[in-house]
Amino acid sequence: MSNAIIEVKQLSKQFKSNVAVNNVNFNIRKGDIFGLIGPNGAGKSTLLKMIGGLIYPSSGEIHLFDHTMRENHPYFERMGLLIEEAGIFPHYSAYKNLDLIAISYGIKNRKKHIEQLLELVGLDKSNKTKVKNYSMGMKQRLGIAMALIGSPDVLILDEPINGLDPQGISEIRQLILELNKTGITLIISSHILEELSKVATTYAILHHGKIIEIISKEELLLQCEDRIELEVDDPKMTVLILENHLGIQRYKVIDDHTIYVYETDIETQQIIQSLAENKIFVHSIAKHKQSLEQYFLERTGSSGGADD
Amino acid sequence: MINLLKMDLTRFLTNKIMYVFLLVFIAFQMFGIFMLKQYEQPVEAGEILIRRMNESEFIQMMLAQTPSWILMYIAVFSVYFYMSEYNSGFYKNYISMNNARRNSVLSKILILGIFTLFMFIVMLIADLIGRSLFFQQAAIGDSGYFVKLLIGQFLLHWAFAIVVLCAVMMIKQAIPSIVIGIILSLNVFGMVAGALESLVSDTNLSAYLLVNTIVDIKDFDQINDVVHVVSVAIIFLFVFSIIAVRYKRKEDLR
Repeated sequence: MSNAIIEVKQLSKQFKSNVAVNNVNFNIRKGDIFGLIGPNGAGKSTLLKMIGGLIYPSSGEIHLFDHTMRENHPYFERMGLLIEEAGIFPHYSAYKNLDLIAISYGIKNRKKHIEQLLELVGLDKSNKTKVKNYSMGMKQRLGIAMALIGSPDVLILDEPINGLDPQGISEIRQLILELNKTGITLIISSHILEELSKVATTYAILHHGKIIEIISKEELLLQCEDRIELEVDDPKMTVLILENHLGIQRYKVIDDHTIYVYETDIETQQIIQSLAENKIFVHSIAKHKQSLEQYFLERTGSSGGADD
Repeated sequence: MINLLKMDLTRFLTNKIMYVFLLVFIAFQMFGIFMLKQYEQPVEAGEILIRRMNESEFIQMMLAQTPSWILMYIAVFSVYFYMSEYNSGFYKNYISMNNARRNSVLSKILILGIFTLFMFIVMLIADLIGRSLFFQQAAIGDSGYFVKLLIGQFLLHWAFAIVVLCAVMMIKQAIPSIVIGIILSLNVFGMVAGALESLVSDTNLSAYLLVNTIVDIKDFDQINDVVHVVSVAIIFLFVFSIIAVRYKRKEDLR
């Protein structure tokens, strides 16, 4: 038995001639915050809707909690969804919207449960304002509260920070981290890698319906961290010199010739001099700096497109 | 299923628009009775004056006049009730529950049945008040006949609501669905089918169409008429319920 609670295998979705999701594979472990990143139109919403049971795959499989999903399977119940906009009746208050969902889930002691959720997402429980008069941030927070009604194990949030001001983004981010601490696994889509990088533990980059890279937070940060890229003849010997002569501890041997040094406060001249003194030939040495955005754009090769 | 029904019922009963619908219907029904008083003429078939009609005869006479207002109200409400949830995306909050697709359709079907029942109750109240006020007549007539008429017409109207529900689920847009509902209420399809049928054969199969059955005056003392009404109602009710459930189960939700 794997420790993945969601397994997506060769999943595809085709709408007439348009292939929205193409042969996608990935696993999500319990407790992960899985960031799905891709430009508009990449197929993020379609993929999330398939995982959430809103739409059916054209081919491939979804395994939830070690069970293969077919239509109307009970394991979909363990997912809370906030896909695209929050599904709320605009003419009702937040409490009334939550109450309706609580009734549909057959929750006993609804009042207490709803008040707890409203408190969790930072909405005033006594507020009788109709939801249509809410700000975008309040609607998103209500949407998250709605998705949490059935006490789900997995929460799917599609572009939860879209249209929010910086304060709203910060509040949603805090909420996501708090929810994750309670043991909820989250899948979050966004087209802003910078924002996802503050919460996600694993990232999948989706482009034109295909997953082009899955990378952990540590790997991503390492990729984007400032570094000195060193190309030498003898990496083994180089490593000894870096450690013993220059006191460098943070480095990574990439291949037979390449070493990345992550302690960038040291001068490149100093490295060259030490290596030269020990008769190690340096082919090249360069400081490398890459932002998360550059990293993402490099892989997707574009900056936009049509909406999902 | 029960929980989804409770949720829909809460939404239904706390929905001000539903009460506005019923109030407007009462007002128009009474206004219609007032206008009948102003321009009272014997009804062609039986040459009965409206003032002499009992409630059963009055209901049949009113339902036989197209456009059927009660059908129009049911059509508009069916579209409104489904589309208000669909457009808001509210279903996304519960659709992941086991069998929620099937249960949400069955729940809507039951709610439309309750709305149809309310419409009938309101119609009876408006008729009795209107006839008392303007015709000084509130007789119900034979109670057995009256009950059979009400049950038969209720089932037919409920089946009509389900047909409209089916249409709106597939069309997914409010205005075109309302237009279809009004066209059905006007019995355009029934009249066209009847005319075409009379051109090509001597059969009268179009009499078994739903709205044709609603607007045809029946004698509920005749077993054939009762069987006709009940069978048409039940067949339409079941067939379109099954279509609606099957469609929802296969539907890719936006």
